[in-house]
Amino acid sequence: MLARSLALVALFIAGPALAQTKTPPIPETPAGAPSDIYRSVVRIEAAVQVPDYGTPWNSGRFGGGIGTGFLIGKNKFLTNAHVVSNERRLLITVHGSPRKYPARVKFIAHDCDLAMLEVEDFTDFEKFPVLSLGDVPELESQVRVIGYPIGGERLSVTRGVVSRIDFSAYSHSRADQHLIVQIDAAINPGNSGGPVLQEGKVVGVAFQGLRQADNTGYIIPTPVVRRFLKDVEDGSYDHYVDLAVSTFPLHNPAMRKALKLPDNGLGVLVTDVSPTGACEGILKPGDVLLTIDGHEIDSAGQILLGGEKVDLNEVVERKFAGDKVKLRWLSQGTWNDQEVTLKPLPAARMYAIQYEKKPRYIVFAGLVFQPLDTNLFASVKFDDVNVRRLYSDYLPKGIFTERQDIVLLTRVESDPINSQVGDFAGRAVDKINGVTVKSLKHANELLNAASPPEFHVIELFGAPRPVIIPGNAVAAANERVKKTYAIERLSNLND
Amino acid sequence: MSASSLRYFLLLPLVLAAGCERHQGADEPPKVVVVPDGPVPGPKDLLKSVVRISATQQSWNQAQPWEKLSPGKRRSLGAIVAGNQVLTTAEMAVDATYIELESPDGKRLATGKVIAVDYEANLALLGVESEADLKFFEGTEPLEIAARPKPGDTLDIVQVEENGTPLVTTGGIQGIDVVSNFLPGQFFLTYEVKASMQSAANSFSLPVLRDGKLAGILTSYDAKDQLSDVISTDLVERFVREASDGDYAGFPALGISTSRTEDINFRAWLKLPEEKGGLYVSTVRVGSAAEKAGLKKGDVIVNIDGHEIDRLGYFEDSHYGRLYWSHLVRGAKSSGDKIAMDVIRDGQPLKVEAVLDRRDEKDQLVPAYTFGKAPTYLVKGGLVFQELTRPLLEAFGEEWQSRAPLNLLDVYENPQKYEARAHRIVFLAGVIATPATVGYEPLRNLIVTKVNGQEIKDMKSLIEAFDKGGSDGMHAIEFADEKFTVHLDEAVSTAVDEQLIQRGLAPLSRAEE
Repeated sequence: MLARSLALVALFIAGPALAQTKTPPIPETPAGAPSDIYRSVVRIEAAVQVPDYGTPWNSGRFGGGIGTGFLIGKNKFLTNAHVVSNERRLLITVHGSPRKYPARVKFIAHDCDLAMLEVEDFTDFEKFPVLSLGDVPELESQVRVIGYPIGGERLSVTRGVVSRIDFSAYSHSRADQHLIVQIDAAINPGNSGGPVLQEGKVVGVAFQGLRQADNTGYIIPTPVVRRFLKDVEDGSYDHYVDLAVSTFPLHNPAMRKALKLPDNGLGVLVTDVSPTGACEGILKPGDVLLTIDGHEIDSAGQILLGGEKVDLNEVVERKFAGDKVKLRWLSQGTWNDQEVTLKPLPAARMYAIQYEKKPRYIVFAGLVFQPLDTNLFASVKFDDVNVRRLYSDYLPKGIFTERQDIVLLTRVESDPINSQVGDFAGRAVDKINGVTVKSLKHANELLNAASPPEFHVIELFGAPRPVIIPGNAVAAANERVKKTYAIERLSNLND
Repeated sequence: MSASSLRYFLLLPLVLAAGCERHQGADEPPKVVVVPDGPVPGPKDLLKSVVRISATQQSWNQAQPWEKLSPGKRRSLGAIVAGNQVLTTAEMAVDATYIELESPDGKRLATGKVIAVDYEANLALLGVESEADLKFFEGTEPLEIAARPKPGDTLDIVQVEENGTPLVTTGGIQGIDVVSNFLPGQFFLTYEVKASMQSAANSFSLPVLRDGKLAGILTSYDAKDQLSDVISTDLVERFVREASDGDYAGFPALGISTSRTEDINFRAWLKLPEEKGGLYVSTVRVGSAAEKAGLKKGDVIVNIDGHEIDRLGYFEDSHYGRLYWSHLVRGAKSSGDKIAMDVIRDGQPLKVEAVLDRRDEKDQLVPAYTFGKAPTYLVKGGLVFQELTRPLLEAFGEEWQSRAPLNLLDVYENPQKYEARAHRIVFLAGVIATPATVGYEPLRNLIVTKVNGQEIKDMKSLIEAFDKGGSDGMHAIEFADEKFTVHLDEAVSTAVDEQLIQRGLAPLSRAEE
């Protein structure tokens, strides 16, 4: 009831703006007389299974949700990644038809929240119009959002004005930033994945709203969509590439003077270069970046691209692994020009939520070990300063080059063998039997050596003493723990 | 800009609130619980041995270290001891700007001063400010120190009503343990006394008597459980004896952190015999008495001065019964005293003798308390530098242990990682928006390693490095985690400094000598 009245309010606000628009008129009763385009906007019903990182051996939560998708080619439906993440069954329905068509994910890109679906049998869709992509809509121009938001079963159409174009966060992965367009039409659950139209063309994909503000919606603009479509042309989705460089604005006159830069508002300071990233060994902290692919970089790190001021990373955003980017920079008074070959930065995924993965874990004598990642951080609270520090330093300090995983002792399932070590849960493992733990697999090898030691000695960061487990009692304890706590498998080492 | 000013904005009300809380606490004591066996009017003679104390207390603003917070007031009842001195809790002396002593009948007043204070043991000895004030003590009768009570003995808690009537509440010692009653991590022998007291207009710093002699100082009262914490006779006796000449050294320390050994797997690995207890040494502080004595991480202490230490770290005290081991160090010992330990290292017995010494808080990388000391800082061109202390971390709010910046918390938790390079951690706390700090507004909570090429070891060395100046009239500031250098123009920042002084921010720096 509440949802419905909210939806009505949204329509009412959009109403007065109708008179001023040049976009095609909306039929008075959309539900009764579907325009051709409506047929190509489909409702996606997703049944999902969300893994449980707290008790990783359990099945996780079964659930589901509704989203929107649209036809962009022969058996190609575009939607948001978050609509179909962790899916177990997908059904597509067409506006005005009760039939549910089984569908599957063909490509999914969690870093830009896009996915492409296909139906098992495309026959019924053959005659449907295919939507085509337009450009980035201009500020103040009007757009239509079509989808299946909460508040009813049927298709819904709202209108909004483009209020901002920005480089901003995509909340699905929690770690990625791309171009984003903000409109003043509310985007509600269910709208996700729906087309945003202007003059009959798709100018974006509705994908997120703001919790603290009404009538603010965000859409994925077409440069991001086009990049995704191009990326999957070779049959698989590769990750975004990254310059892997942190910058600091050069507004301060003293800073500019010390770096011997003219007072022209150009150039941004390099403050960090990620280990193993594209610029490692090329740029170094203290260098001043001046141009990227010929675009002048201003002191705030922005460039002019297609008439809009955007973040310098926007140039890299539109490229692919193996592509080159031309950089010009000043290093200790010397000019440098060099082409940098772009590549993804896998270690940065530490800070992104992962989907379609099975949580990895080891249960050993009731001690539960899990690799630290953002999924785990999102479901279990870690107060330990050492754990938080290892997490935040993982990429910038290059910890990942030594420890592929930060292995945590996340739980202790009570058993006589571990009765006095419950307080140690929540700490990170430094060494097992004297050897620095490099990954969860490595921990598993150390704990299950061919000939077990008299005592397993597990050293934890910041713990007052090591955890000691007698080697010859482990097998029996594992059996007890398995039975008592209904843990079908004592480990899962692969995602 | 918004980011850094936000921190100040957030901090300020929190710190103020803490200050107010204390004030209100003094004015609005917990509700009176009417129960039988409550307080009864005490003998009039009692009034000759107690004194009302009212202290005005004002602490420094950790977020804006050049200024103080609003003052608060706190009242208590002190015990008069020999030599015209008054014993009370250290809480009364904390950041005291003015202490007034008043006789219970209100006839005599004197300005008090702190002769000695031990914040760790929560005891303070007060005297009068001037010779002329000595007549305040005319007609008073100093309390003698009582013999040590035993569990089950009764103690008399003394209060004085607003009208000057003495009240005595008798309660039994329910438990005796080594606990912290003021500062976290500072454990001392304390009596837990069950008594249904009357709330008084003063705070719960009260004299506790046994047979008319001073047996302890009450530090807190829980009206719900009718339980109070009383600082033990042992500590009172020792403190009064050592502090009366004004030259007080404080309680000694061994310098170890420990872990219990009840885990049978752990014991088997340590090769501990079944009949022994044992205290596992988790860390040995660099430069401590323990380190000098050759004690090592991984050692297991099984006996201290002839007392067997059990698996939980307790020993059998001949007078009090089971007590925590730390009482053997901090109970009756002084700096320079020896303790003998039986240790098991790698399964082999070993004897270790340590000469106890004092762990002075001001020698710590991150001092746990800074009472009576103004925070050190430097404001240069609008950049605000401070030295890391626990009170500063606490200014991040009640949940500071998760809310304070991670890099600063790491120093607090793992000082051994940083001790080699500095005496104190100096960090850029925030940025005041000035013409010299354009574009620097987002910088905050960054540990400073070098200024103008000089290593920064404390606030003094930071000030010297700025005074020395950089090349080309530019100061260069380098940080621990950020790999870039921030520059300040000497001429511009000096002009800015003068403006800041005119706007009430003075002085612009403060450092420990």
